[in-house]
Amino acid sequence: MFARLRDPSEKTLGLILLAPAFALLALIVAYPIGKLIYNSFFDLRLSGGSDSFKFVGFANYVDVWKDKDFWGAAKNTILITLITVPGALVVGMGLALLANLPFRRKWPVRLSLLLPWALPLSFCGLIFAWFFHTEYGVVNDVMRRLGSGEPTMWLLSPNWAFTAICATIIWKTSSFMALILLAGLQMIPRSLYEAAEVDGASKWQQFWQITIPMLMPSIVVALIFRTITALQTFDIPYTMTKGGPGNSTETLAMLIHKTTIEYLDVGYGSTLAVCMFLLSMCVTAFYLKRIGRSA
Amino acid sequence: MLRRNLITIAALAASLAAGSAFAQQTTIRVFSGGSNQRPDLMRRLFDQYQKANPGVKVEIETGGATSELQRQYLSTVLNAKDSAIDIYLIDIVNPAQYFSAGWLEPLDAYVGGTAAMKPYLPVYAQANIVNGKVAAMPAFADAMFMYYRKDLLEKYGIKEPKTWDELATAAKKIQDGEKNPNLQGLSIQGAPIEGAVCTFLLPYWSQGKAFNDAAGKMTLDKDAAVKGMDMWLKLVDQGVMKKNIAEVTTPATVNEFKAGQVAFAINWGFAWDRFKDDADSQVKGKVGVMALPSMPGGKSATCVGGWQWAVSAFSKSKAESAKLVQYLASPASSKFLAVEGSLMPTYQSVYIDADVVKQVPWFKDAANVVIAGQARPISAQYGQVSDAIRTTTSAMLARTKTPADGVGEIESKLVRVMR
Repeated sequence: MFARLRDPSEKTLGLILLAPAFALLALIVAYPIGKLIYNSFFDLRLSGGSDSFKFVGFANYVDVWKDKDFWGAAKNTILITLITVPGALVVGMGLALLANLPFRRKWPVRLSLLLPWALPLSFCGLIFAWFFHTEYGVVNDVMRRLGSGEPTMWLLSPNWAFTAICATIIWKTSSFMALILLAGLQMIPRSLYEAAEVDGASKWQQFWQITIPMLMPSIVVALIFRTITALQTFDIPYTMTKGGPGNSTETLAMLIHKTTIEYLDVGYGSTLAVCMFLLSMCVTAFYLKRIGRSA
Repeated sequence: MLRRNLITIAALAASLAAGSAFAQQTTIRVFSGGSNQRPDLMRRLFDQYQKANPGVKVEIETGGATSELQRQYLSTVLNAKDSAIDIYLIDIVNPAQYFSAGWLEPLDAYVGGTAAMKPYLPVYAQANIVNGKVAAMPAFADAMFMYYRKDLLEKYGIKEPKTWDELATAAKKIQDGEKNPNLQGLSIQGAPIEGAVCTFLLPYWSQGKAFNDAAGKMTLDKDAAVKGMDMWLKLVDQGVMKKNIAEVTTPATVNEFKAGQVAFAINWGFAWDRFKDDADSQVKGKVGVMALPSMPGGKSATCVGGWQWAVSAFSKSKAESAKLVQYLASPASSKFLAVEGSLMPTYQSVYIDADVVKQVPWFKDAANVVIAGQARPISAQYGQVSDAIRTTTSAMLARTKTPADGVGEIESKLVRVMR
């Protein structure tokens, strides 16, 4: 046994060298996810509900299926993803094209591109909550100066609150998009554009025929990253509206946080987390299949 | 060889001696809430205790500006069975939940059973006895009061209003007379924060209704609750409260009242010091305080708050901690907090103490308000109770839900939790 270890074959050596990484992954990925799924089959109410710590089978999953709050939060999460991911892509593309212009000094542009990305999410939420405040907010101040009458109560009506949150998320995330796209843009050889110009292609045609196809790999990477983080949206709605008014801007991540941390219902919270995990798996798989192929 | 052995033995003896001296020194770590709970004053209490008990060292930890933030932090720490903190300062709504979760050490054996709770104001004795066991000891009291601008009421010859309708008329008269578009008649907390639970309960209670019975079962009278919410919305329509009331937090009410933009304001007892002492207060010497108005035929009722000392079930020095808690919950400590920080006493006798009355004259009347006060629903699942009430109340004030729908929603969410 030891003799073999002293002089291992290539296969054994490979396994030995991989073992630490496997152990680490098992500890920080497989164990927590396994424990989460295990917990989701139990009634684990820490607040001392009558029959806590009991195996309940799929009862939690049946409750999730019937839970209006879950479907509301799922709808909000998907809507936020559907609005902010393309939104950030369009704005980010604009920013990237702007930053790619031949400025004499590049760093001020790059810095201003980086700043929103470097800002912590919760700060961003708090700052925009002030922007959209009915009385003290800069948004309503500008609108008043432009002559609009009754001030809009942005964060107090479901639709406006949703709009405000999406605008904030797009502002916050488009700089990340722009960074990835900018890197892609700089890899497109100038000679392609020069050749196109000789052939008489307009700027518009150059954009659609050269820039977009050459940029596709970067776009796909950016979209996948952004979609996964969009499905996990928590900080910005939490700090801006706390999910209000009512539960109209509550996302899945917020519902899970509320159930586990505030209600101390670990079993049901785990079930919700498993459902969210499944949802993001489906979306990511769909992405990889559809967009990944076309790229 | 012998010499070396001797040195080793000497070193061993020295380290043993040092070890036993170390064992006599107990360190107790206390979570002392956020700045509204005045950790500066608590530190002075701890210093006094350390002086009287040389073997004990008290460390202080603070955090969480609001009750909800503290609850989230403590839930995480206690859920992890962390033994680093021995004593917690917790909001009045938490003992039931934490004790049921097995996070708090029953104090009966240390303080002499539930009889030790007799001297406290009844509402505090009640909130801290869970399942017949002493879960925590009261630190200081708090309650919602109606603050008003004495100068404005005098100017327009208005007496302290007794009903909500009288208050609306009085506020309207002041607003019309002052001709200041920024002057609010009344400020309450409509944002989905803990204070909104009281915003829901105040007009409901003031019709003489109860939200729950002694066993914690919900006894919601839906018509009365709808009537209460309609009353708030009517005040918005009349222009007495501002339109974005669903955005107003506790500090917002304090700051706007301090800036002289509010005639009547509902807020906690701690706000009194802010109005009186803060450098930027525009209303120094112009503030009066009274009991909350009621509905016709009802009675004035207020929402009781306040903070309790609890010993962690995971503490490694429970006996020492329980001793410190007894000291912190004593009449002497209560008097110290009242005189130095206007923190409201939990003993009726302290309210009429000569030194206290001299320092904080309005405490004489405050005692009656606190005694008449009601606790928010006591429940092991208070997190759910609070969340259902505050988010729905805020949504009703934002007019995204009608009072009938909102009250129905509160009932259906809580009927399973509070049974």
